[in-house]
Amino acid sequence: MLTIENLKVTYGKKKALKIDSSICIEEGDRIGIIGSNGAGKSTFIKSILGLIKYEGRISTKLKPADISVHMQYNNYSNFMPVKYIIETILNTKISKNLELQELIDFFGFRECLKQKYSTLSGGQKQRLTIILVLIQDTRLVCFDEVTSGLDFETRQKLLEKIIDWYKGRNNAICFVSHYYEELEQLVDKLLLIEEGEVIAFGDKRELFNKVCGDSLIILENTPKNKTLLKGYNIIKSPTHLIAISCKDIRDEIELSSLLINNDINFKRSCNDIEILSINAINNYKQMGV
Amino acid sequence: MKRRAINWNLIKYEIRNIIGNIFTVFFGVIFPIVMSLLISQTYKSQVPKEVLPKMMTGIFITMSLISPMAIILIGYSANYSQEIEKEIPLRLRLFGYSEKSLLISKLIAYMIFTIISLLIYSFINIAILDIQTPKLGALISYMLSLFIITVIFFILAHGLAMLLRKYGPTYAVTMILYFAFMIVCGMMGVKVNQLPEIVQSVAYTLPMTYISTDFVEFWEKGNYNFGPLFLSTIFLGIVSLVILFFGIKRSNKIKK
Repeated sequence: MLTIENLKVTYGKKKALKIDSSICIEEGDRIGIIGSNGAGKSTFIKSILGLIKYEGRISTKLKPADISVHMQYNNYSNFMPVKYIIETILNTKISKNLELQELIDFFGFRECLKQKYSTLSGGQKQRLTIILVLIQDTRLVCFDEVTSGLDFETRQKLLEKIIDWYKGRNNAICFVSHYYEELEQLVDKLLLIEEGEVIAFGDKRELFNKVCGDSLIILENTPKNKTLLKGYNIIKSPTHLIAISCKDIRDEIELSSLLINNDINFKRSCNDIEILSINAINNYKQMGV
Repeated sequence: MKRRAINWNLIKYEIRNIIGNIFTVFFGVIFPIVMSLLISQTYKSQVPKEVLPKMMTGIFITMSLISPMAIILIGYSANYSQEIEKEIPLRLRLFGYSEKSLLISKLIAYMIFTIISLLIYSFINIAILDIQTPKLGALISYMLSLFIITVIFFILAHGLAMLLRKYGPTYAVTMILYFAFMIVCGMMGVKVNQLPEIVQSVAYTLPMTYISTDFVEFWEKGNYNFGPLFLSTIFLGIVSLVILFFGIKRSNKIKK
């Protein structure tokens, strides 16, 4: 559907994004784009949209009408009741558009229609743009940090709605987020970007296996746990945790038994994106050295 | 982003946007009416009865210039610079509206609002003040001049907003221009020929000066030497286009 090859974006002399290998976005793909602030995630989206100048090639048969985007910052006129914003942008009447009415009700947005944009809460503002994006039902949809700045409950509800809406649909989605748990629920592919470089791109499970092994056992980082797990394949993790890579089910069972016998709480994961990304970046940097 | 052509919904949206800005409504609609009524009341007792209609006509013509200045120069530039700051035009572009459609819809909306504002101003002034009946040619020239000045203000306001890109500096610059134009062009109660010579030479480069000082005679007699007005209009137009050019240049540079 869309292929990116040898892409290079610079802001002045600063390299913003460099993609040496080829990245393909296929019909129905759910791609999670992760990386720290300033890594180049939004630059990636802007390149796809043709909003910035780039070197290299983005080849696609998609027309502009086939792509929609929820930007990181979406603003509208503060003076305007939301109803008019929707009707203007979509050039329609809400009362005559059943599909739009369904979407408004789906996101519980009906009570906000008479409010002015400036009086909406952060979550309501995000819902407004999501409705405007979803109604277009384009083949490629980009969400750039939709849930940033929202509280946990609002984030969770919003994500559930997006997941629900796209269930059984074949739109390709690029979902930029700092919240790993969101990506675990929504995406099946990952694009990891760091300091403008692509660290990894591919199927979420395949990348996990390549970087973290078959599964991970994750537990609290305490001196007692550290001593007990000496000799195990401990990989990089957030500092308050210990992550042990298990290469197969036997490894996992053996380690689980040890932890159970020692009355230690642990979590088992085969899709922890946070630990996957920490280790992928670490491996990439080591390769560079 | 489905391509969307300019449509009535978009123009209505822009008109609502203008009405939502209370400052534009106040300075563009209410303020000229109040100013014309106040000044005419002030001078009413100071001039002989026979010249009263001419004086009131002069006030009517002069104060009508405030509307396009306040609505377009201050209101539009403030509104658009705020939109640029919040990336609203980009957001609308990503929903399929081209920059051209957005710009044309804004121009149409602001023209409609300015015309309505001038109509309200005229009705109230005609109803309350003793205004002379104009010669047809003078009336057409007056309306045409206001229309051209309004378009030039739109170009100037758009250029300034694109160049400065932030609400604060844009508002400050247009406010300074607004008051400078009002003082220099004789809209603040002091006639142009009462100003210092150097200020007068600046005043005569602006078309508003000719409208506020000469049009009252033209209104009555129906003939007028358009040369200076024509030249000053071209001058203001060129200055506005130069600012717009640099604004577009800066805007393109930022996009890259």
